Amino acid sequence: MEKLEKIMQDTAKHFLQEQKVDLIIGYKQGTIPLRTTPCFVTKPEDISQLVWNVCCDHDLTNFLLQPEYKDKKVGIIVKGCDARALVVCMAEGQIERKMVTIIGMPCPGMIDRKRIESELEPKEILVAEITEDQIHLKGKDFEQTLQKDDYIQASCKSCRYNNPPVCDVLIGGQPIELSFNDDLDEKLAELEAKSPDERWTYFTTLLSDCIRCYACRNACPLCYCKECFVDQTQPQWVGKTTNISDIMFYHMIRAFHVAGRCVECGACTRACPMNIDLRLITRKLQNIVKDRYGFEAGLDPNVPPPMGTHTMEDPQEFITEPE
Amino acid sequence: MTQMSNLKKVSNPYIPKLTTIQEIVSENKPVNDLKTFKLVFNNPDDFKEFDYIPGQFAELSYFGAGECPIGIASSPTEEGYLLFTVKRVGVVTTALHNSKEGTAIGIRGPFGNGWPIEDLIGHNVVIIGGGFAFSTLRSLTKYILAKRELFKKLIVIYGARNPNELCYKQDLAEWEKLDDLELHLTIDRPVDGWTKKVGFVPAITKEVAPDSTDAFAIVCGPPIMIKFTIPVLTELGFADERILLSLENRMKCGIGKCGHCCVGEKYVCIDGPVFTQAQLRSLPKEY
Amino acid sequence: MKEKILPKEQLPQILKTLLESYKVFAPIKKNGFYVFGEIETPDEIALNYLNSKIPPKEIFYPRTEVLFTFTKSPQGIDIQEAINPSESRVIFGIRPCDAKSFTLLDKFFSYGKFKDPYYQTRRENTLLIGLACVNPRSTCFCTSINGSPFGEEGLDILFVDLGDKYFVKSLNLKGDELLDQLPGLTPASEKDRFNMTELLKKVLASMTPEIPIENINTKLEQLFDEEVFWDQFSQKCIGCASCTFLCPTCTCFDVVDEETSSSGKRIRLWDTCQFPLFTLHGSGHNPRPTKRQRLRQRVMHKFSYYPKTLDEIGCVGCGRCIIVCPVNQDIREVFKALQET
Repeated sequence: MEKLEKIMQDTAKHFLQEQKVDLIIGYKQGTIPLRTTPCFVTKPEDISQLVWNVCCDHDLTNFLLQPEYKDKKVGIIVKGCDARALVVCMAEGQIERKMVTIIGMPCPGMIDRKRIESELEPKEILVAEITEDQIHLKGKDFEQTLQKDDYIQASCKSCRYNNPPVCDVLIGGQPIELSFNDDLDEKLAELEAKSPDERWTYFTTLLSDCIRCYACRNACPLCYCKECFVDQTQPQWVGKTTNISDIMFYHMIRAFHVAGRCVECGACTRACPMNIDLRLITRKLQNIVKDRYGFEAGLDPNVPPPMGTHTMEDPQEFITEPE
Repeated sequence: MTQMSNLKKVSNPYIPKLTTIQEIVSENKPVNDLKTFKLVFNNPDDFKEFDYIPGQFAELSYFGAGECPIGIASSPTEEGYLLFTVKRVGVVTTALHNSKEGTAIGIRGPFGNGWPIEDLIGHNVVIIGGGFAFSTLRSLTKYILAKRELFKKLIVIYGARNPNELCYKQDLAEWEKLDDLELHLTIDRPVDGWTKKVGFVPAITKEVAPDSTDAFAIVCGPPIMIKFTIPVLTELGFADERILLSLENRMKCGIGKCGHCCVGEKYVCIDGPVFTQAQLRSLPKEY
Repeated sequence: MKEKILPKEQLPQILKTLLESYKVFAPIKKNGFYVFGEIETPDEIALNYLNSKIPPKEIFYPRTEVLFTFTKSPQGIDIQEAINPSESRVIFGIRPCDAKSFTLLDKFFSYGKFKDPYYQTRRENTLLIGLACVNPRSTCFCTSINGSPFGEEGLDILFVDLGDKYFVKSLNLKGDELLDQLPGLTPASEKDRFNMTELLKKVLASMTPEIPIENINTKLEQLFDEEVFWDQFSQKCIGCASCTFLCPTCTCFDVVDEETSSSGKRIRLWDTCQFPLFTLHGSGHNPRPTKRQRLRQRVMHKFSYYPKTLDEIGCVGCGRCIIVCPVNQDIREVFKALQET
């Protein structure tokens, strides 16, 4: 990946020097092992800050929609999922294609630092070195080596488009093919086989820890509404408490709002400080949209999202006449 | 709740006292988004405990909708009731506007510091107000009029968009007749039949040019009015320490705990809402 | 002040004794992280933790709490205050930073003319038994904020893990009294005391170097209007509430009413200065419309406003905000940048 990192830096630097872009949104080393942090580079001489490794898990598309970049020409580092989120934003008229220079990274899958940290606690990682297939960790009184493939983020394991479907340049020029063992669809099938009561229990248990910090919403590149329904007061659609009914209402409505739009980048689940995994919900909704409309979000900026359009051929057997 | 905690004996500042709406007056028919509510405490002792001065506010509860902070429009010299002028903007104020006489309203307060009456005593007072923010200025004017001998000259400059938007029309009519109150009413644009001043409050203040000698200026109104009135007052010779303003910020608790109205190290609810211009200069412009 | 020794295998016995007379809150593991929860048996406790994800403040200051309930009838409205006197409680295993946070919350909720009876009632009758940090995280910076991994502030009793036994120290009269009731304790020897002091030295040496925070107040005020300074941090902020909700010293709340046909309740819930809605006026005006201002507010409030009003820094250096931030916003970077300007 170091090789790709160098090419990425050179490419980004070139775009800045040629003034093709005003800034580059990318990743730099974080302050904690196994973490990167979003960075915004405007000067070619700062380009060496940019890193590319298996900890580059933020969905940077999120930042493109912020008002300060509205009239800027932005270069953005994207993985497959980020590029798809960008495509959805373009299809929905939020981002103009010509304002964005998409620097695509073939994504090998990001590692799940939260799981590693949680499994190691009370040991704390102080130094992490990541090689092609191993993660070497060092702490106060320990050293440990993990197999990288065992700690790939769940959302990356179930990823179907790890290479950006749309980009201006694919760094390295070679897409990566992934073959992880993924059990998301299996888990979903298990959930679907359950009774409504059991499913309800699954959802309420899953969500009961939610503290309503809205990290999931704010980390989501597609939750870009200027005023979210949870913040509206007239009328107030949903209660603000952490009673399970209010929590459920929030998450269910948000899930519906990203149906047919969600690119399953996993940003919501990664951002959650309480480790709530929303992916079964989002996968289910995307499956429904795929089955019904043969549509997958984020592949073509010229195709409007199915929930934002309609045709005479849309299936409508669920609309029944009142008896 | 069989066992009572020690703290229970101290009054709980989050629990409203109950009042009943005795009268509702629309201040600006037919627009009708400004109403003055006359509230009477269900328990007369609660009124005795409600010891307030002009410029303070209270949290009004419409049970089920919530609470909102409203400046007290009545003067403590008016016995037996409280007045609140409420603009319809959000959930609670809408619920208040839709309620009828006899509705139970909760009240917590009085909160905030209020206009510094002690400082004003023995001085000339220039009251400058715009729009419905005149409410606590009405309170102050009524108060001064009731204790007229304690204060020197009293000038009131009050402006609104149009004559209809001037609140407390009955009070204004009475004040116009007084010799010991110099009242200047103004509206933004000329209107048929309006014989008084026309122009924005800052311009009228400049025109009236109240003498700053031995005087305090009390200003309350929309931010834009305040912004342009302050320089006029400064030009007239009012020191920053003698320009008093009442801030508004989003508030929830009214008692310095919820954090919403925090501006710098101050809380508008407990350290304000009244600040001198001198104090405001050292605060961030986060209001 | 008493100093005792407890062999580790005796700990369950201690907890059992506590459980007989107190409601006991202790760290438990849940969904891959630790929280403070009520335990019913000693074996529920999970002491193998660095610190809890949610600070124990929620025991006294829950995410959502009812202030009062009301019923509406033709006769009028009846208000029922919802304060329940707290039963005797013990928080076992609290870290010194979190114990210190309670001294700040105590001050804040009782400061000024108005006291907060909900917090105070919950806080009454609660004994705090701390567990010293022998393994502070690299993100911990308590020592930069006048704290210590073996800090005693706010605690009644402190446990220090000496390997096969605990050094147990009572820190006030309440602590003394409680120690007298606990079984299995033997007096600490000079050697135990020496071992504890040596351990503290070792732990301190292992910690991330202190961040100089003297004059931070003045520096923050000087830089208040420097947009570029704040932008370097705020531009990556996604504006969620993780840092503030999981902060042991953040106290801001919202108040809402909930109603059914004839009854309802007034509820308060955690709120945060990081949401634009927090300061939005009814008129649409927002005094802190940008995330730059909101991030600045979080920093200013803890490191400038708090010292001015309560004479203490409003942070205990637990590092939770650093760990939970989805984009790795690190408040230590703000301090570093402040020192460099």
